[in-house]
Amino acid sequence: MSSENQDFNKSKAFLIDMTKCTGCRGCQVACKQWNQLGAEKTEFFTGEGYQNPPLMSEYTFTRIKFRDYEKNGQNEFAFYKEMCMHCNEPACASVCPVGAFKKTKEGPVTYDAERCIGCRFCMVACPFGVPKYEWSKALPLVRKCTGCYSRVKEGLKPACATTCVSAITYGNREEMIKEANKRIAARPEKYLKKLYGSEEAGGTSVIYLTALPFDELGFKPVTKRPLPSYTWQALRLVPGIFLTVGSSLSLLSWFNHRKERIAKEEEQRKSGATPKEES
Amino acid sequence: MTAAKIIVNEIKGYHRFVKFLIVLVALGALASLARFVFGLGVTTNLNDTFPWGLWISFDVVTAVPLAAGAFTLGAIVHCFHIKKLEPLVRPAIVTGFLGYSLVCVGLLLDLGQPQRCWHTMVYWNPHSPMFEVSMCIAAYTTVLFLEFLSPVCEKFGYHVPLRLLRTIEMPLVVAAASISTLHQSSLGTFFLIAVDKLHSLWYNPLLPLLFWLSAMCAGISIIIVEATMSHKYMGQPDESELLETLAKILPWVITVYLTVKVFSLVALTQGPLFNRPGLLVLFVVEVAVGVLLPLVMLMNGNVRENNRLRATAAWLVIAGVILNRFNVSMFGMEAPGTFYYPSFLESVVTIGIIAAHILFFVLIAKYFPIFEHHPETVDYSIPDHFRKTEKGHAHGAAKA
Ligand code: SF4
Ligand code: SF4
Ligand code: SF4
Repeated sequence: MSSENQDFNKSKAFLIDMTKCTGCRGCQVACKQWNQLGAEKTEFFTGEGYQNPPLMSEYTFTRIKFRDYEKNGQNEFAFYKEMCMHCNEPACASVCPVGAFKKTKEGPVTYDAERCIGCRFCMVACPFGVPKYEWSKALPLVRKCTGCYSRVKEGLKPACATTCVSAITYGNREEMIKEANKRIAARPEKYLKKLYGSEEAGGTSVIYLTALPFDELGFKPVTKRPLPSYTWQALRLVPGIFLTVGSSLSLLSWFNHRKERIAKEEEQRKSGATPKEES
Repeated sequence: MTAAKIIVNEIKGYHRFVKFLIVLVALGALASLARFVFGLGVTTNLNDTFPWGLWISFDVVTAVPLAAGAFTLGAIVHCFHIKKLEPLVRPAIVTGFLGYSLVCVGLLLDLGQPQRCWHTMVYWNPHSPMFEVSMCIAAYTTVLFLEFLSPVCEKFGYHVPLRLLRTIEMPLVVAAASISTLHQSSLGTFFLIAVDKLHSLWYNPLLPLLFWLSAMCAGISIIIVEATMSHKYMGQPDESELLETLAKILPWVITVYLTVKVFSLVALTQGPLFNRPGLLVLFVVEVAVGVLLPLVMLMNGNVRENNRLRATAAWLVIAGVILNRFNVSMFGMEAPGTFYYPSFLESVVTIGIIAAHILFFVLIAKYFPIFEHHPETVDYSIPDHFRKTEKGHAHGAAKA
């Protein structure tokens, strides 16, 4: 994990303002193009909303979730761009036994397919259910949004942020949060007074602004504490436990065996044949 | 007669049950072949919302505590020096070695890129419980293999390696116990990361400790069951006196486990406990049938002295641990509205693995001296006048 001692304010983050999203799904297409992802067979209304494809998958790193709701007796749509949150302290990176996931200093959490052994622990660990698996292959790998690291590292914006006309802003995390708060302050009647991603899972590189309660949009409630700390509080005890158990058992057996050896030598001395004389 | 013919003739002489096991193992092998040809997606019921299924829940998370007999008994016998339990050590080691080897098989089947399993040895990530478990399993399988070599060397009369093994015996026992402590508990650490996924009936920060304690309960119970069964079905000597001693230790361990479990449930759990009736039923069954009932039974001296009742109590403990592991790694992880059940092929593979375990145990017991081991001829004391002690009286077993 490279995320310790990192100044997350300086790393890049997405600000996704869902009140400005028109549901054009340009980001979805741009992402497929840049990452050369295959198309998926269209099947309408198989997911929990009207979106297509129904779920993120090995072919779809981001998608717009459609949600209908009623407001003042009128049917309305809400949209939500789903993607990897590029957590500041990613659970996926912390549990991967071979360190295939890495939090880069630029912000994106990258995945090294060459290292991955396919244990799928990252999928179990990610609180947002982001990593997807190539279930169709005999020797599958994990797939997820790359944060367009190859672009970001060259100073470009991610493909989805470049395509989007208004809803996605990309820049320093600190500035994105400032900008978000400015927007809320400017139009308090419109926005919900909460940023999703500023604290979730210890803070992420994707910040959401909405008009609708987050749970209505299908956002999962997620702990505020960085996830790696949950396992680390047990794992950091490992060397200590190993040494304690090892040394106390060694001592114990040395003591118990010594007792026996002494008793045996005593007996041998009595019978007059000490093993020492033999050699 | 060619070698093949000798083998065929040998197999023809086997009991019907053993032949049946061979068929099951062969089916399991075929099914695992299908997994590599057609991929995980087609052959299993796993998907993106349920990435770990039966193979992790049973073949790994459950099989590891079931193989815990070796380390528990090794520590009891050698470190606390309770010598009369000695005859049970070898069967326990064989069970442990088989168990762990089959855990490795299960893991390899489940990995997407099994050919890269050596990556865990090269790219270290000490923050990952999976890294720790794979290191420990590799180390522990090696230790058990070395311990298992003793009966093999005895069988073929290799005296030099036997002496070497005898010298490193104690360090091996200590290493085995410490490594096991770590990875039995790390299996619990696995699920600490599933903060908002594992239901609060099982999720709490003491999960690693609970896994370790319940593994010890399972370990002791397995030894009781195994010795009772090999006495009954394989004509091995009756060890009931020794088993009574174990049955006296067991309720203490269960009590400690139960105390920690109740404490963590009452004091450390965050989140609702009673919102999922299905899970609540599973939890109650796990604790009532798998913990409380055997505890009450074993506190009764009549039960401990009765072969059948004692084995029944041990079976209950084992069932409780199995259910606990399934609850933690499978049922408790299912989000409301989703449901995973293993596919036909997944189940065949797992049945094959269980059959392989029993089969190999029976075969090893048939061809190697794991029961006819005479502890009184062996001196396990640490030779601190190195050669001298050895020459004096240490290698009785090697000559026996
Ligand atoms: S959202 Fe999931 S996959 Fe993305 S960085 Fe966070 S833990 Fe990793
Ligand atoms: S599946 Fe690959 S990337 Fe995910 S935790 Fe396992 S090794 Fe790491
Ligand atoms: S950052 Fe790149 S990979 Fe991620 S959703 Fe946007 S376009 Fe796709």
